[in-house]
Amino acid sequence: MAAEIDIRSVTKTYHRGGEALRVLDELDLQMEGATFYALMGPSGSGKTTLLNLVGGLDHADSGQVVVGDTDLTDLDGSGLARWRAEHVGFVFQGFNLLPVLSARENVELPLLLAPLSRQQRREQAERALELVGLADRMDHKPRELSGGQEQRVAIARAIASDPQVILADEPTGDLDRTTADAVLDLLQRLNRELHKTILMVTHDPQAAGYADKVIHLDKGKLGRIDDNRKATGTGGRS
Amino acid sequence: MPWRLLFRNVLGHPVRSLLTIGSVAVAVFLICMLHAVTSGLTRTLSAAASNRLVVQSAVSLFVDLPLSYQQKMAPVPGIEAICKWQWFGGRYEQDKGGFFAQFGIDPETFLPSYPEITIAEGSYDEFAKNRSACVVGEALARKYDWQVGQTVPILGTIFTRNDGRPWEFTVAGLYKSSSASIDEQTMYFHYDYLRESLETGGASGPQGVGVYVLRLAPGTDPLGVQQAVDGMFENGPQRVQTTTEAEFNRQFVSMLGDVPTLLQMVGGAVLFAIFFAVLNTMIMAGRERTRDLGVLKALGFTNGVSAALLVAESLLVCSLGAGLGVLLGLVLEKPFQVATAAFIPGFGFDTNTLLLGAGIAVAIGLLSGLVPGWRAAKLTTVGALREVG
Repeated sequence: MAAEIDIRSVTKTYHRGGEALRVLDELDLQMEGATFYALMGPSGSGKTTLLNLVGGLDHADSGQVVVGDTDLTDLDGSGLARWRAEHVGFVFQGFNLLPVLSARENVELPLLLAPLSRQQRREQAERALELVGLADRMDHKPRELSGGQEQRVAIARAIASDPQVILADEPTGDLDRTTADAVLDLLQRLNRELHKTILMVTHDPQAAGYADKVIHLDKGKLGRIDDNRKATGTGGRS
Repeated sequence: MPWRLLFRNVLGHPVRSLLTIGSVAVAVFLICMLHAVTSGLTRTLSAAASNRLVVQSAVSLFVDLPLSYQQKMAPVPGIEAICKWQWFGGRYEQDKGGFFAQFGIDPETFLPSYPEITIAEGSYDEFAKNRSACVVGEALARKYDWQVGQTVPILGTIFTRNDGRPWEFTVAGLYKSSSASIDEQTMYFHYDYLRESLETGGASGPQGVGVYVLRLAPGTDPLGVQQAVDGMFENGPQRVQTTTEAEFNRQFVSMLGDVPTLLQMVGGAVLFAIFFAVLNTMIMAGRERTRDLGVLKALGFTNGVSAALLVAESLLVCSLGAGLGVLLGLVLEKPFQVATAAFIPGFGFDTNTLLLGAGIAVAIGLLSGLVPGWRAAKLTTVGALREVG
């Protein structure tokens, strides 16, 4: 079942140099499952912090973060690690592939945490790489790939264990326009064809155009939510 | 546990890994060698016979005893045989830089006093009959390719021939030893040959006997004989010190200083140096992989796995080093055995030596991996991902 994300009165404060910085301020936000969300806002508005909380990478100071049936605020560090392994895939701006592993081995990494045989892991990783159009680059190391290819490997790694939620932090930030569009197309396909819930942080309005809905954050609070489907009559940029 | 990542991380920096493995290998090799020396000394000392006493000058081992003492000691109850030993200090003419020990001894009492020695080739009777004959250890004969019947020229450094020519000894037999306290790299010749040359003016050098070795009759109390002999020469002309063979060997070794303590200190210093080198390498590796560790954590790997990766990497590098070091030691054991046979006949690797080398490497690996491992476990995923790679 596709995940629904429920953010209930979440507050998160960082302390830097003796100064308290409230990044999320009593934020309430509900996201539907199987929907492609773009998360926009000025720097410091709490986009990445919200992404980290939804991905179980960080804890909220107060409030609740519920993804599907799981209240992440109830889980400790190892509980969150187990939950992440099963339910969420990450795509980062800097790709974050492990340089010593091949594309296939990078994609296989999250599968090591699943009860799969070596053969099953290999097959599943290859399927994910085929899905992102990199069947012919499986044995290449990250340094042998272009930026767009690296990001597609990262997306394959994010979907390899078939999570319900994919979280992408500026996935096209390091890519040129053409390559960025190809990556965004891929994310849109994952949402439309595989019904993944996607939450993508971006500064780029063109990238946000690929999402079904655009959430605007401002100073840790919800600004507004734009529905691209209503605007285009189809659902995001086609 | 992502084993493939572990191996790839090690192979990812081949030069650094090889240098670290090499450092650990050298350290383990040194530790094994030092342990082989100290345990060799212990073996040598513990293999000493309990029925032999050594009589030396109470002043110093380098002060000779009068020849007349042999006759005076002979009637002491419990003494079965007396054998003179005189250090010759010569050099083989064809290898003046090489070293091996030569002793003038009494052939008629020498072999019966040392049942550990057997004649492997040639004849002890021939040796006993011929004044200028000698017996040499098998290892020494192998080293210089000496054959039975061959005459070998030895240049005296303490005892020199007045005609300027080298001493000539005919090899009458090759001996082998079944005891760690007696090496197979020594030459034994007639003490009387030396004495006669000195008395007839054919050679120059100190008169007297280096030490007397007393063979005791079965059931004799060594302490009683020691006291009797020491008491006999209490008032001179030359006071003596009688000790068991083990004690004599111990004193001989301690003339070089407290060798085991010295070696342990050297070993300890080597260990510390290598520990800090490996620790530094692993801390560097841990810091370089901060972002990778963040990715692993984001993917769902626990803090424990992140830490274990670094500890296992350190263990792997150190284990490879240990294996290489032990292998190097085993390869060089024989040449070292030959080189040190005159001083440490018991030198050699045993199971404890190998276990010590391996154990030390594992300990270094574990300790060096724990510091970056602990840091990896404490890293927050968000903090690690924020690290600029």
